[in-house]
Amino acid sequence: MVSVRLKLPSSEGRVARWLVAFMTLGFIALAAAAIAIGWITMRSSAYTAEILHTQDVRQAIATLQVEMEQSETARRGYILVGTPLFATAYARTAGNIVPSIRAIRHLTSDNPAQTSRIDRIESRFVRLRALRTQSMTLVATGRIAEARRRFAVDASVPLMRGIRYRLQAMAADEVRLLAIRTGHQQRSSALFLSVAGLAAALLLVVAILAILVIRRYTTDLAGSRDSLRDLNETLEDQVATRTADLSRANEEIQRFAYIVSHDLRSPLVNVMGFTAELATAAGPLAELIDRAEAEAPHILTQDAKLAAREDLPEAIGFIRTSTQKMDRLINAILKLSREGRRTIAPEHIDPAQLVDTIIGSMQHIVDDRGAVVRVERPMPAIVTDRLALEQILSNLIENATKYLKPGRPGEIVVRGHKERSRVILSVIDNGRGIDVRDHQRVFDLFRRSGPQDQPGEGIGLAHVRALAYRLGGTIDVQSTLGDGATFRLNLPSAMTIQDSTP
Amino acid sequence: MNQHQTVGIVMIEDDEGHARLIEKNIRRAGILNDIKHFTDGTSALDFLFNAVDGPAKSGPAMILLDLNLPDMSGTDILARIKAENSPLRRTPVVVLTTTDDKIEIERCYDLGCNVYITKPVNYESFAQAIRQLGLFLSVIQVPDAE
Repeated sequence: MVSVRLKLPSSEGRVARWLVAFMTLGFIALAAAAIAIGWITMRSSAYTAEILHTQDVRQAIATLQVEMEQSETARRGYILVGTPLFATAYARTAGNIVPSIRAIRHLTSDNPAQTSRIDRIESRFVRLRALRTQSMTLVATGRIAEARRRFAVDASVPLMRGIRYRLQAMAADEVRLLAIRTGHQQRSSALFLSVAGLAAALLLVVAILAILVIRRYTTDLAGSRDSLRDLNETLEDQVATRTADLSRANEEIQRFAYIVSHDLRSPLVNVMGFTAELATAAGPLAELIDRAEAEAPHILTQDAKLAAREDLPEAIGFIRTSTQKMDRLINAILKLSREGRRTIAPEHIDPAQLVDTIIGSMQHIVDDRGAVVRVERPMPAIVTDRLALEQILSNLIENATKYLKPGRPGEIVVRGHKERSRVILSVIDNGRGIDVRDHQRVFDLFRRSGPQDQPGEGIGLAHVRALAYRLGGTIDVQSTLGDGATFRLNLPSAMTIQDSTP
Repeated sequence: MNQHQTVGIVMIEDDEGHARLIEKNIRRAGILNDIKHFTDGTSALDFLFNAVDGPAKSGPAMILLDLNLPDMSGTDILARIKAENSPLRRTPVVVLTTTDDKIEIERCYDLGCNVYITKPVNYESFAQAIRQLGLFLSVIQVPDAE
């Protein structure tokens, strides 16, 4: 026996579920990675903006420092030399200081520490600017000496120092901020890289898993397909082998039956022949006894007379009837075996027409027995062996007319119907019926049912069953004793020859 | 009747009982021709074709042939006798067998068997058939010497 586990559907379902799960997981991971990367990028650009802002602030502080120093330098040069070149240089740089302070305040409005510093710088500058304006006016009006004397005592130097100190503090603060923000940005970049790397790794894992699952699925599928193909191939082989075995066994039985019946006849010919010789020999012997009785009665014993006149003819008679019966039985086996060896030739047959022919050929028997056979039309057409079907039906109809219930005129109905690819032909009678326990037995060779009041050897139905099997069909009987019988012949509607019986 | 005497009967039959019954009935029919009995095919063929007093070398004969022999099939012997270049192809052959198989009978006639008699268990008809061989024997023509 070849047994193949067909686990395809469940395995396929499980694999498909795994596959979908992995794909979903992969897409979720991908989406999460995209969101994370987007968020990190946004954070990163925010940090970049902050860094740029800090740079701007540093730039603005540096500009203010330069302007403060340049204007102070120009003022001091003017006081020292009085050249108008210093006055124009002072005017150019000092005019820029207030907008620069404003710009810084604007830029550092988010930073209270820086704002307070710039406020202090401005207040100092306002005082310094008053001193500067005074000096410039004195020099411009030619009072350089007074300007110098005032410069030596006024508060412009400490003011300037305070401004310088605070501006340096602001710049240092911005440098500190820059370091913090650059650190943020670097961490953000590192995070971006690790998230991207993680997503890539995740994707790789999902892809590998998916490939593995698909490979397993494909291998499973190929395996199933292979085993299915193997099964298919071995199935054909098996069927062919079994069919060959069967037809060989069948041929063997046919040959066996043929040889047995044939070789059994040979000694039977001798038994019968020499019995006849014995009978012939008994004739003169009986004559001799008769003559002896007439001419010399004293030599005769009662035993001799009995032997010649009764025992001998009786024994010969029994031997004869027995051998004749044996010959009929052997002939029946021979007929069956011959029937089994006959070539079956399927053809299109209208069963109704065939039944008509059968009834026609046995009309006188049917009439003699006082029976009526009715054919119900229409009957389904059938493709089968004509001779075999004819023999089956004529046996069944003949039986139906033979075993009538005494006192009830025989009524036989032949009908047929189709059940899918089978044709069922029924022969229904109202005869004496068959006891339920004999329903199988009647189909056995040399077995009969009910009172043995009709001639026959118990061959007909065995023959019918053998023929039905030969045509790829079956036969059964439904009957109750005394109430008629229905023989149902179940045949393929289109017979195909499968075996190669020679 | 002189001509009949020259026709020898060769009986090839493995069953002694059958042979005895056949002989009895032949004699009972008033046929007194010499009967040579063989129980196997090999010795029968040897006699038919090679023996000095056999039918091939001297004189006409009639052959009674059983189809079921221990060493060979009767149809093989029939084929040998009726072969194209056989000296015995004109010798009448009566096939006697228990088989009443139509195909086998046809095959025997195809091979050139002259009469086919089945051995029925009904002895009377068998005896009748054997007796009629007497009539058959009387019409056998002695072949011209070639």
